[in-house]
Amino acid sequence: MKQMNYLKWVRVLLAALFFIPIFLYFIDFAGLIPNSVHSLFHLQLVPAVLGGFTGLLIFQILLACILGRIYCSVICPAGVLQDIINRIFCIGKKKKKGTRRFHYTRPMNILRYSLFGVTVLLACVGITELLVWLDPYSNFGRIAANLFRPVYIGINNVIADLLFKMDNYTLYHVTIKTVTIAGLVSGSIALLTFSLMVVFRGRLFCNTLCPVGAFLSLISRYSLFTISFDKKVCNSCGNCERACKAEAIDSKNLRVDTSRCVDCFNCIFTCNKKSLHYGINPLCKKENSTEQSSASEMKKAMGYNRRSFLATGVTVAATLPVVSALAQNNTGKGEKKQPITPPGSLNLERFKDKCTGCHLCVAECPSQILRPAGLQFGLGYLLRPHVSYNDSYCNYECTICSEVCPTHAIKPLTVEEKVTTQIGIANFYIDRCIVNTDNTDCGACSEHCPTQAVHMVPYKGTLTIPEVIPDLCIGCGGCESICPVRPDRAIIVKANEVHQFVNKPDEDEVLDIQIDDFGF
Amino acid sequence: MKRRDFLKTSAIAGAALTLNFEGLQAALSSNTMTVEAVPDMVAVMGGEPAALLDKALETLGGIGNYIKKGQKVVIKPNIGWDRTPELAGNTNPELIKALIKKCLDAGTSKVTVFDHTCDEWRKCYTSSGIEAAAKEAGALVVPGNEERYYKEVAIPNGVKIKSAKIHEAILEADAWINVPILKNHGGAKLSCAMKNYMGIVWDRRFFHQNDLQQCIADICTWQKKPVLNIVDAYRMMHQNGPQGKSAADVATLKSIIVSPNIVAIDTAALGLFNQVKKLDMEAVGHIGLGESMKLGTTDLQKLNIQRIRL
Repeated sequence: MKQMNYLKWVRVLLAALFFIPIFLYFIDFAGLIPNSVHSLFHLQLVPAVLGGFTGLLIFQILLACILGRIYCSVICPAGVLQDIINRIFCIGKKKKKGTRRFHYTRPMNILRYSLFGVTVLLACVGITELLVWLDPYSNFGRIAANLFRPVYIGINNVIADLLFKMDNYTLYHVTIKTVTIAGLVSGSIALLTFSLMVVFRGRLFCNTLCPVGAFLSLISRYSLFTISFDKKVCNSCGNCERACKAEAIDSKNLRVDTSRCVDCFNCIFTCNKKSLHYGINPLCKKENSTEQSSASEMKKAMGYNRRSFLATGVTVAATLPVVSALAQNNTGKGEKKQPITPPGSLNLERFKDKCTGCHLCVAECPSQILRPAGLQFGLGYLLRPHVSYNDSYCNYECTICSEVCPTHAIKPLTVEEKVTTQIGIANFYIDRCIVNTDNTDCGACSEHCPTQAVHMVPYKGTLTIPEVIPDLCIGCGGCESICPVRPDRAIIVKANEVHQFVNKPDEDEVLDIQIDDFGF
Repeated sequence: MKRRDFLKTSAIAGAALTLNFEGLQAALSSNTMTVEAVPDMVAVMGGEPAALLDKALETLGGIGNYIKKGQKVVIKPNIGWDRTPELAGNTNPELIKALIKKCLDAGTSKVTVFDHTCDEWRKCYTSSGIEAAAKEAGALVVPGNEERYYKEVAIPNGVKIKSAKIHEAILEADAWINVPILKNHGGAKLSCAMKNYMGIVWDRRFFHQNDLQQCIADICTWQKKPVLNIVDAYRMMHQNGPQGKSAADVATLKSIIVSPNIVAIDTAALGLFNQVKKLDMEAVGHIGLGESMKLGTTDLQKLNIQRIRL
């Protein structure tokens, strides 16, 4: 076989081309990375499924049919992150303890396919909890948004503060407000899980817990291109097995489990005898009966047998009653506080179904008002972003969150649609208002109201007091964020469980005002 | 002293005694010293921002009367909102650009521009056109969105405010120029020179909590006063202020008013405002409070005001 060492480098290059923009887009706070990068996020499989992007889904399936699980080594940022963690782990280690520390294991088919089945089943009945926790892209997002981004901003701040002391304002200090305990914990769990699994068992996550990995493995075992042994050349040195992160190469029996192979090509790179090659699947060639029989033998060895299929089926079926119970429970209205969902999410139920908590919107919101929820809105809203008007408010003509959302859980909005989408309504509590309690002017709420739904009306003497016109209010929170009353503010936005649409405020006629005197 | 010198001196003194001071005396008593004296206030109408500024500063004897060579100067516009210049939410960028050029031409060592914005500061700086205009003119544009940029100073003459955190750009500057835009304001009723002070302080919530009108007057008593106030009334927001909803809130008056007297300039600006929308002086509480706190006069009759039409 020809030398194919370049394959690994092609894979690394492609992975870098996907990973670096995605990574930078997550951590960039200054708008240095072009917005168009967000189209890369739509390629992610779970977002593509949830967003109903059929074309992209077909593309991914075709890709897997032809090339195998190249997705896991190139497109999936969680996969590439694991490769990077592995690379870091290997620094300064001898090959035996580093790059060649793995060994073949049997696949955990019952576990991975049961988990995959249950995840899909639950998602179908509108319980996306398992998907949220297992989706590789969203886990990567939570790591990037809640861990890497704050670190990056922190470094920026240290440098900005130094420059600031030297009267240089090239960089600016940014106070991070979007990191919540839930975000931090979920990001840490994901990073820790990836790191531990990678260090001890390579791509174990991808081959046991990951629903995308399980789905692609169903295709990749029959894919056109696979890695296979040239048995005539192989001297069974075992280097390939030890280099295989997926633990998918059985060098004794000269077998590659293509359902777990993520097309990293490290084995080909490692093989001194050039006995491994990436080419048309020998199963597809059907050259002779011996190959055939060895194929079925291989299947058996890899555990694709009737028994494991049945066990998987039984496990999934066993969860059905639990699933249906959960589904029923899920529709029942809880007593929990209502979260305000971002404009474009249409309604709470839809948002909960479609959002996988990748926290891209949290990272991109220029006003930093989207925060990963903990349990304050119930378990069903865990890790989803909710709108908080504690420090800031939703910028009137900003549509960033809706543009970037990879699952379209936040549907893309035009500016026109955004400014007429009512995500909540301001409620005014006169007994707490400064104008009423202190008899002094304030008007901060009205000042910040872009539609003048909160406007000032005559009160005592020359004083004016706010009044809310609910039909004009879009729930942007300008009023709530700026209200000076504490501990409870005098104007608070209450969430719309189903978003409403309001008319744009009437535009007064533009008058041609001419004056010919100063008036003083 | 020699005799000759004594005689010479006596002769000069004698000659001086015969001089006629009638003209000067008349000018002093009638307060209409029009010829080449510097007026208290200049209002210019009917031109583009740069031309208005040119005329106003020329009438005031040049910007060199207010800032000196080598000084560090801060220009404080209103950049409060994520709004384009046409919507009159922020000070006119052309005016800021022209003013920066004037300052740099006068030999100032550094001109700094900032505001503590209401909307997200990056968006405000960009949409207002001020960041681009100021940088083009050669000024340093600095952020005002973080508490770390502000330092506590005493406001000994304040009634409600005894101390405030003020942006260090102004604290470090040798002189600052206050460049508000004239607007209607939901809380303070009028947003002009005095109200523009709220953009140099960090904790504005305190203002709203503790009698907004009094707090605005209080902060204006801070010892470091602007050397000039330049009111941008090229476009004026006459309703739905301070943010505005649409172009219907804007009147294009093509005017500016310039004066070092902050109470007088707000009084005059209110007069101009009343040409478009009625607004009572007593509603704009901070102007009257400013006068009673000796920050200036509301009696424009007492001042030498130049009104110019281009």
